[in-house]
Amino acid sequence: MAKEPMRVLVTGAAGQIGYALVPMIARGVMLGADQPVILHMLDIPPAVEALNGVKMELVDAAFPLLKGVVATTDAVEACTGVNVAVMVGGFPRKEGMERKDVMSKNVSIYKSQASALEAHAAPNCKVLVVANPANTNALILKEFAPSIPEKNITCLTRLDHNRAFGQISERLNVQVSDVKNAIIWGNHSSTQYPDVNHATVKTPNGEKPVRELVANDEWLNTEFISTVQQRGAAIIKARKFSSALSAASSACDHIRNWVLGTPEGTFVSMGVYSDGSYGVPAGLIYSFPVTCSGGDWTIVQGLPIDKFSREKMDATAQELSEEKALAYSCLN
Amino acid sequence: MPSKSLLQRLVKWCPWLLRDEPKRPVKVLVTGAAGQIGYAVVAMIARGLMLGADQPVVLHMLDLPRSRDALNGVRMELIDAALPLLRGVVATSDEAEAFDGVNVAILIGGSPRREGMERKDLIAKNVPIYKSQAAALQKHAAPNCKVLVVANPANTNALVLKEFAPAVPAKNISCLTRFDHNRALGQVAQKLNVHVGDVKNAIIWGNHSSTQLPDASHGTAWTERGERPVRELIADETWLREEFVRTVQQRGAAVIKARGQSSSLSAASATCDHMRDWILGTPKGTWVSMGVYSDGSYSVPDGLFYSFPVTCEKGEWSVVQGLQIDDFARSKMEASASELMEEKTIAYEFL
Repeated sequence: MAKEPMRVLVTGAAGQIGYALVPMIARGVMLGADQPVILHMLDIPPAVEALNGVKMELVDAAFPLLKGVVATTDAVEACTGVNVAVMVGGFPRKEGMERKDVMSKNVSIYKSQASALEAHAAPNCKVLVVANPANTNALILKEFAPSIPEKNITCLTRLDHNRAFGQISERLNVQVSDVKNAIIWGNHSSTQYPDVNHATVKTPNGEKPVRELVANDEWLNTEFISTVQQRGAAIIKARKFSSALSAASSACDHIRNWVLGTPEGTFVSMGVYSDGSYGVPAGLIYSFPVTCSGGDWTIVQGLPIDKFSREKMDATAQELSEEKALAYSCLN
Repeated sequence: MPSKSLLQRLVKWCPWLLRDEPKRPVKVLVTGAAGQIGYAVVAMIARGLMLGADQPVVLHMLDLPRSRDALNGVRMELIDAALPLLRGVVATSDEAEAFDGVNVAILIGGSPRREGMERKDLIAKNVPIYKSQAAALQKHAAPNCKVLVVANPANTNALVLKEFAPAVPAKNISCLTRFDHNRALGQVAQKLNVHVGDVKNAIIWGNHSSTQLPDASHGTAWTERGERPVRELIADETWLREEFVRTVQQRGAAVIKARGQSSSLSAASATCDHMRDWILGTPKGTWVSMGVYSDGSYSVPDGLFYSFPVTCEKGEWSVVQGLQIDDFARSKMEASASELMEEKTIAYEFL
């Protein structure tokens, strides 16, 4: 008995990340090879031709799992009945723009998208905000869609989480699938804290802590952290474009683990609504280590936090509180 | 009473007998990997969409020295994606390193068509590229490497490759027409208002160019009345011979017009489909289109790379035989074959 199709919304679908993401969704990478999908793609009117071109290509690819495509510039049509919403659309930072300007533009976008989602999405719609500033955009979305359960609104830090894994596996010359439980704490920005204190690697002699195997705290506390924090800029420098492939892939990982669950003993990083765990102020969207089961995420509790980590975690929380204040000032 | 069962002893001393041994990694080369189609296809390959969700891969990516930074950027992103199936990434501008030990080669790199360029010029620029790649393929690739030529002129590039890699069996070289095949299925599905997964057995005959013949006349579709021939469901020969053919042939231009860029997503997807079906086999009763070395089937001259309907089993393709070819199709197929003969002649002029 074939499953009922799930409706997946991608905003900003005519852009680079959208173009990388929609074929992954249509091929079952996000929700599983047995889950039919209907894609809803939203973008702004200047991009309507390009968006239609993407729709044509999706038709041309003859995907067995893709049961329909809606390509629209109308937020209501886009949000109607969606079970998953991946918000890639936002106002990108342009040369010379102040932080406040970027924030102001994105706040109005996410306020308006919040209303559309709240009114038209399917009940229990799962939302992933990708567009930067991701955590604060997600917070605005939550504030202006009060009937969407706060647990259903998240932001993407899986990209940074995956990047941390990549760095560890290169350093130790191991398979990335043998590494687990690195954590990204905080804001999806340069204040994020990649933490390997609880990370392990599967070796022929059992699971070993990453810290022990790397045997270089200096590297782990400095270069490793800054490499992960600044990887986005490094990609832009090399490619002349920002990361689309890895962002799209991580967005699929985030949703897939959320919907289908995390493997036993493994946690992943998600930007979620803080409940005050680990001394992080409540009421922020903050990246935590989580496990997922039955379609819900739960923060992993009880991990020991050392002084070094505490400072980093507090610094990124501080930045988020400032962003929140800035966002609210744009609303008034 | 035995102290330990045979099974328990086996588990202790030979645990691998009861564990699923992971497959050995397959090495996949993508040339032109820093470009648009390359970017789309490497993501799909590393996610198991070409060779299956249980098949680890090692990616070899080749591009020109001037694209080294961009290629390295792609390598960085592949590492950043933390993909469990991806067991290694080689990014290089050296052909020998790129082809070393590869089991699958996707040749997207080539000299692209520029505004005002004649087909003759396009062939001229690509012949030396494919002659050189042929040498590397023959010398360095793994035995039985399967090759898919994507770069245009795809059929003639494949022919040059074959001619200059005589130790590589001609049956292991192919060119991409699955792209047009998938487009044809999509158009039939839209016309019938059914899901594209319910349409099968379109055919693309001939050259991957404007002389290709998209042929839906042997296709079938699932409707409420069961599986029925497309010819019966779309009882409109004119549509099948004209609008359908034109739309499929010109779809590439239509996408460029809409997107401002050529189709990468659908080209990459078709590339994965072509290779996956070749290696893992086509479903029973279903055929696909591949540009393959002609054996004279359907009176197509042998010694050309020509797109035929094929089924695939155990890693081998076979041309579907016995399809009735009407006069309309016959004349189109001959025209495409003539064009391929001309391209072959032009290619040889430059050798």
